[in-house]
Amino acid sequence: MSLDAIPIHVITPPAGEPGLTGNAPPLLRELAEQVKRLLETGESSAIDLSALPLTPTDLDWLHEKLGAGEIAVTLQASGESTLNETACPGIWWVTHRNEQGAVTSQFIEVAFVPELVKAHPQDVAIGLENLELMISDL
Amino acid sequence: MNDLQFLTWVRGTGLDIAVGIFLLGVLWRLIEIYTLGRKKDLAAPRHAAGASGLHTVFRRSLPPPGMLKRSPVSYIGGYIFHIGLAVIVFLGAPHILLITNLTGLSWPGLPTQFIDLVTVVTMAAMVVMLVDRINKPVKRFLSTFEDWFTWAVTFLPVLTGWLAVQHLLLPYTTMLALHILSAEILLVVLPFTKLFHAFTLFGSRWYNGSANARKGVPV
Amino acid sequence: MQGPLIDTLARQGVTRRTFLKYCATLASMMALPPSAGRAMAEAMAAARRPSVIWLPFQECTGCTESITRSHSPTLEGMIFDMISLDYQVTIMAAAGHQAEEALRNAMLENDGKYLLVVDGSIPMGDPGYGTHGGHSFVDHLQQAAKGAAAIIAVGTCASYGGIPKANPNPTGAVSVSDIIKDKPIVNIPGCPPIPVVMTGVLAHYLTFGSLPELDAKGRPKAFFGETIHDRCYRRPFYDQGKFAKTFDDEGARRGWCLFELGCKGPVTYNACATVKWNGGTSWPVESGHGCLGCSEPDFWDAGGFYKALSVPADPLKLAAAAAVVGAGAGVAVSFANRAKKGAAKKAHQPITLADLEK
Repeated sequence: MSLDAIPIHVITPPAGEPGLTGNAPPLLRELAEQVKRLLETGESSAIDLSALPLTPTDLDWLHEKLGAGEIAVTLQASGESTLNETACPGIWWVTHRNEQGAVTSQFIEVAFVPELVKAHPQDVAIGLENLELMISDL
Repeated sequence: MNDLQFLTWVRGTGLDIAVGIFLLGVLWRLIEIYTLGRKKDLAAPRHAAGASGLHTVFRRSLPPPGMLKRSPVSYIGGYIFHIGLAVIVFLGAPHILLITNLTGLSWPGLPTQFIDLVTVVTMAAMVVMLVDRINKPVKRFLSTFEDWFTWAVTFLPVLTGWLAVQHLLLPYTTMLALHILSAEILLVVLPFTKLFHAFTLFGSRWYNGSANARKGVPV
Repeated sequence: MQGPLIDTLARQGVTRRTFLKYCATLASMMALPPSAGRAMAEAMAAARRPSVIWLPFQECTGCTESITRSHSPTLEGMIFDMISLDYQVTIMAAAGHQAEEALRNAMLENDGKYLLVVDGSIPMGDPGYGTHGGHSFVDHLQQAAKGAAAIIAVGTCASYGGIPKANPNPTGAVSVSDIIKDKPIVNIPGCPPIPVVMTGVLAHYLTFGSLPELDAKGRPKAFFGETIHDRCYRRPFYDQGKFAKTFDDEGARRGWCLFELGCKGPVTYNACATVKWNGGTSWPVESGHGCLGCSEPDFWDAGGFYKALSVPADPLKLAAAAAVVGAGAGVAVSFANRAKKGAAKKAHQPITLADLEK
């Protein structure tokens, strides 16, 4: 039996259906508040995008509004993560993916530098040890 | 018994009992009422324009001249909550599904948001009518236990249904079960209280109308 | 292997950033604020690995399958690096007396501190329905529970009795919480449960040293706080009154609401709609089938998987009989009324003028 015997009709959603819920615009205001806080107190913050009722269209809209900045960081750690600066400095679009490339979580981080980019002092200390070991071997 | 078991009981055994008592009561009372018979009117029938059973069925749905002004709450509130109840029961999607399952009849429903709005308006009308009944000395004097009881029994399914949909007060499962239970209480109570007017209303109007028409009086 | 967890992980080639990323995702799934991800990472990195004992009772191993074969092996597997799984008959190398000794040792060495994971229900009808090494399941559970810091009931069977408890419950199956009353118990129901819910609970325990906030049915609120229906991407169709009437009609192809096809989403509390299955690929409703309500107690006996919630759970048995009785009563009463009327007519005596003048 060929698969053609099974009637499968793919229905494409009618063109012009916006899919915008109106939940994205208020996020811009929240981001403005968070950026203000970052400037005044230096306190960084983040918005968990997967915890909010946003459709893919909403996310596209938000992505488009925030635009792309100068820095794009790629992190290879159990799948690729991207930490990209948006056109508004201080606002970073953070996407974590698993090994299969599926998005596991998505955040908008408001910080001068995203936390994940900074090296942890303990790791730096280990790095120094290695470096000193290297020097002593010279 | 946990909430899902409670829900399953009201959907199963509870509904079975409620529908059983409802059918029993309705058939009993309808047969009893319509087999009572009336004495033959030996007088020669008179005729007057607009006097007939059918006329009365419709005319009694409209307030007599001047009455709308004298007791607006009873009339306007009454219209609103009766129409509201009909819309909720017969045009809410889950309710249609129940009727379809029980009778095989099916028709399209209305969007949830609209039903929601109608529910709120219906509840408001019912509350206003209750307050009116309490505030007006004459209405209060004329009210018996049955009046308060039937008000509550009618109001509860609307309230619990709304609370369930809005996720208020109790978890949805429990609220839905309470909603179905309250509707079942309404079903059980309906044939044996004044709520039976849902079945006898048009028949008795017709009877009064045609009896009076014979006497040449349009009522 | 003792010492801070981060060192253990580092030895296995897991970098700090990988770990941070994992914690951020986990916090997001547990509906914790983004800042909690960092707090979790710090606390967990410094934590010691708790001993975990896993007891299987009347179960199908589906729960173990769900967790051990979860979507991204490294991430979910990471939680197994964070715990010391001292006894798990399905996946441990030891067998027979060696395995039982491992169990005894773990219980003795970590008395009062180990986590007890249970999958499967416990038969109470006859102890012979379920034994292990010559001891009944209920004895095993009671003994292991004595020294446990907390118990995690994995799957609907351990949480609420599940399928073994389905009517007529031949083995007299009960849940863990029906037997153990003096220990904190977390229920992670589901048939099977979502892997990340289990890892989330373990991560919470590692981070905060306590169990997460639970609802009235003992489930972590973070994952079981909302119904499937409320978080369902098909919800707008429910609100618009657009329903699939059969599994192959226009509505089904358009992805309309499955309420009329018996979806139990409105009364089922679980995270499938948000977390999804198989690495976020899909979930039952997305694949076109209504929710069975598998994470609710007694879902098997909730009136049929394909019956909408608003229709009768059972066919109405009394209705026809009641209608006949009602009609009969009506006819009987009407005869009684007619007899009364006839009698009244008969007893009627005309009054004459002469009578009145008497």
